[in-house]
Amino acid sequence: MKRSAKLLAMTAMASLLAGHAHAEVTVLGWPGGPEEAALRAVTEIYNAKADVAPENKVELLFTSRDGFFDKLQIDLAAGTKAFDVNLIATYSIGKYAPFMEPITLSGEAETVFGGTVLKTMQYEGAQYGVPTDLSLHFLYVRSDLIDALLADEAAKARYSEIAEKHLGEKLEPKNPQDWTWKDFVANALYFSKSVNPDSPTRYGTVIQAKNLLFNMMVFHSWPRSYGANWMDDQGNITVDSEAYRTALKMAKMLFELGATPQDSTSYEYAEANAAYSSGQVAAMVQWNAAASDLKGAQSATVSFAPPAGPDGRFTHIHGLGLGLNKASDNTEGARAFLSWLSTEEAALAYARAGGAPGLAGATAGKLADERPDLVQVGDYASNYGFVMNGGTSQNALSVYEAQAKEFTGYWAGTQDLDAAMTNITASMTELLK
Amino acid sequence: MTSRKTSENAILLSPMVAFLLAILGFPVVLSLVYGFSETTFQTLTSPSFSGLENFRDVMNDAAFWKAAWFSLKFGVITATLQCVLGLAIAVYLAPLVRQHGWTVAILIIPMIVAPAMMGLMYRLVLHEFAGPIPHYFYSWLGWSPSFLGPANVFSTVVVAETLQWTPFAFLLFLTAYNQIPTEMKEAAAVDGTRPWRRFLKIEFPLMVPTVFVALFIRFIDGFRVFDNIYTLVGAGPGGATTSMSIYIYETFLRRGEIGKAMAAAILLFLAAFLLLTLAQRLVGRRAS
Repeated sequence: MKRSAKLLAMTAMASLLAGHAHAEVTVLGWPGGPEEAALRAVTEIYNAKADVAPENKVELLFTSRDGFFDKLQIDLAAGTKAFDVNLIATYSIGKYAPFMEPITLSGEAETVFGGTVLKTMQYEGAQYGVPTDLSLHFLYVRSDLIDALLADEAAKARYSEIAEKHLGEKLEPKNPQDWTWKDFVANALYFSKSVNPDSPTRYGTVIQAKNLLFNMMVFHSWPRSYGANWMDDQGNITVDSEAYRTALKMAKMLFELGATPQDSTSYEYAEANAAYSSGQVAAMVQWNAAASDLKGAQSATVSFAPPAGPDGRFTHIHGLGLGLNKASDNTEGARAFLSWLSTEEAALAYARAGGAPGLAGATAGKLADERPDLVQVGDYASNYGFVMNGGTSQNALSVYEAQAKEFTGYWAGTQDLDAAMTNITASMTELLK
Repeated sequence: MTSRKTSENAILLSPMVAFLLAILGFPVVLSLVYGFSETTFQTLTSPSFSGLENFRDVMNDAAFWKAAWFSLKFGVITATLQCVLGLAIAVYLAPLVRQHGWTVAILIIPMIVAPAMMGLMYRLVLHEFAGPIPHYFYSWLGWSPSFLGPANVFSTVVVAETLQWTPFAFLLFLTAYNQIPTEMKEAAAVDGTRPWRRFLKIEFPLMVPTVFVALFIRFIDGFRVFDNIYTLVGAGPGGATTSMSIYIYETFLRRGEIGKAMAAAILLFLAAFLLLTLAQRLVGRRAS
C-alpha cells in the first residue's frame, strides 16, 4: 500500500515536470464572438504544421470580456507568466507597452495589411502587435424609409421645413452616401415623432451616450470631419475647438429635441442595437461589427461610411491584435507564432473563420466573394480611417474616459459646454503632457 | 493548568490569525503604502513616498466630493426607505408569518440575487425597446418615462436598491417584533389600547435599538454601493451616478492613479469607522 502510494506520487510528479518541460505558447485571446472562433481556427492550422516544434504549439486561454482590459493591466503589471502572447487594442498599446516587447512581423505583413492598419499596432515607432481585427464605424440607414421620403414631394417639403427651422438651412433629402452631418441631423429630426408626429419611426437616430470610452470612439468621426484633433503638431491640446463644439452642439440638439431616446445616456453597443433592431429608429452610426445583426433585424438596412463634414469624411479606426508579453518564458515560440500570424495564409484563414482583419486591396480581393464586408472595411479604413494625435499614447484610454465623462455630462444637461470644455482641456493637458 | 490552556488556545488560534493577516492584513498594509506613495501600474513594486499628496489631490478633486455627496444622499434615502417599508411589512405581516413560516422565504428572494445581476436585470427590464415595463407603458398610455434618462436615473437606482434590500430590514424587524413579550401586547389590548397607539407607545419603543442597527447597516451598504449601479448605468452621464466605490474603482483602474484611489479608500474607511463608532455609542446609550 505504502509502495503503491509512493509510486503514484512519483508518477504525478513526473507528469507535472513533463508538462512543465512541454512549454507551449499560451495566447490570451479576446473571448466570445467571432474573434475567438477565428483565433481557434488559425491556431489549429498552426499547430498542425510539421515544422512547429512540440514545445512551440499554441494553447489558447480565454477569460471573460467583463473588465478584460482592467484584469490584463493588473496581470501584466504583476509580471504574469500565465500567457506568452496577449491581446492588445490600438488605444491601450501605450498603457501596456512597458510590459510588452516589440515584435518583428513577416515580410508579407506590409502587403497583407497595408501601412494604415499596421500603424494601429504601433507605439513610438515600434510594432507591438499583429493586427487581427479592425473596427471602424458605418452609417446604418433604413433604405425603405429613405426611398419613401425621396419619392414623396410633400414629405420632402416637410423635411426642408424641419431642417430650416432647426438647422437654419432649407436642406433637401439626399441619398445617405452623400450625407453631411447636417443631413444626418435633418434626417434624424424628420424621422422623430417629437419633431414630426407623422414620422413612421419613434426616433430618427440613436446615440449611444453612456459614460463609456467606447461610445466616444463612435462619436469621434463627427468632430473629426469638422477638423478636430486632440493635439496639434507642437503637442498643444486642441480639444477646445470650434470643431468639437459644433459636433457636440449638433448632437445635443438631437437629445433636446427627442431625436434619440431620452435614456440613450445609459446606452452602449447592445442597447443601441436593440433600439435600431426594434424598427423604431431610422439611422445610426455604429461599429462595423454590428452589420450582420442590424441587417438581419431590419432587412432594408444599408451601410455607408459615416457622414462628411467640411474637412471631409472620416471613420475612427480601432484595432485588436496580439503582442508579446515581456515576462513570457517562451519568447522564441511566441515570436514564431506572431510572425506566422502576420502572413497572408494566416490572415485569410482568420477572415474565413469569421474574424475581421483589415486587409489591403490584393489580399482583401481574394475574399471578395466570401467576405464582401471585409472589402468595405479595408476600403473605408484606407480612405477615411484616422487616429487622433496622441491616440496611442500611454494615457489614450484615460483621455477617452475623461471625454466620455465630460461630453455625456453636457448632453445630459449636468453641465454646460464651456464647463465641459474647460474640464476636458485640463484633464487632457494632464494626461497627454 | 491555566497557562497550558492559554498556550493551547494560542496554538489553536494561530492558523486563523495567520490566515486573517495574510488575507486582510497584507492588502491593508499595501493600501496604506500606496496611499502615501506616488504609484502607477508601472511602479507597483517601487512606489515612491509622497506624504499626504494623494490625500490633498483627493480633497481637491471636485469629482470626489460629488461622489461623496451622491453616496451620502443615496445611503440616507435608501436606508430610510428600506427601514420604513421593512418595519411596515414586518408588523403588518407578522401574524401571517407566524402561521405560515414559509412566506419569509418568498419575501427575502430579492436579497438572494447578486446585486450585479440585479443591475443587469433592470438594464433589460427598463430598456425602452426590449423591456417589458416601457412596453406596457407604451401599449396602455402611448408614452413611457425614460427610467434611465438623466431626469429619472437617481430615482430608478434608489427604487432598485430599495426593492432588493427591504427584505433585509424586514427580517431584522420581524425578529425584533416577535421578541416583544406577547403578554405585554395582550395586556395593552385588554386595557383597550387601539392597535396603532399600541404600536407607537409600546412596540415601536421596544424596537428602537433594532431600528438604529437596521438604519446603520443599510446606510453603510448604500453608501458603499457599487455593483448594481455600475452594471445598470455605470458612472452616469457626467458622473451623475458615481458613488464613492465607483470613484475609487475608476480612479484605480481606468485612470491608473493608484495612490489617489487608495487615499480615497482610506478616507472612505475612516468615515465608515467614525460612523460605526457613533452608531455603537448611540445604540449603547439607548440600551442602557
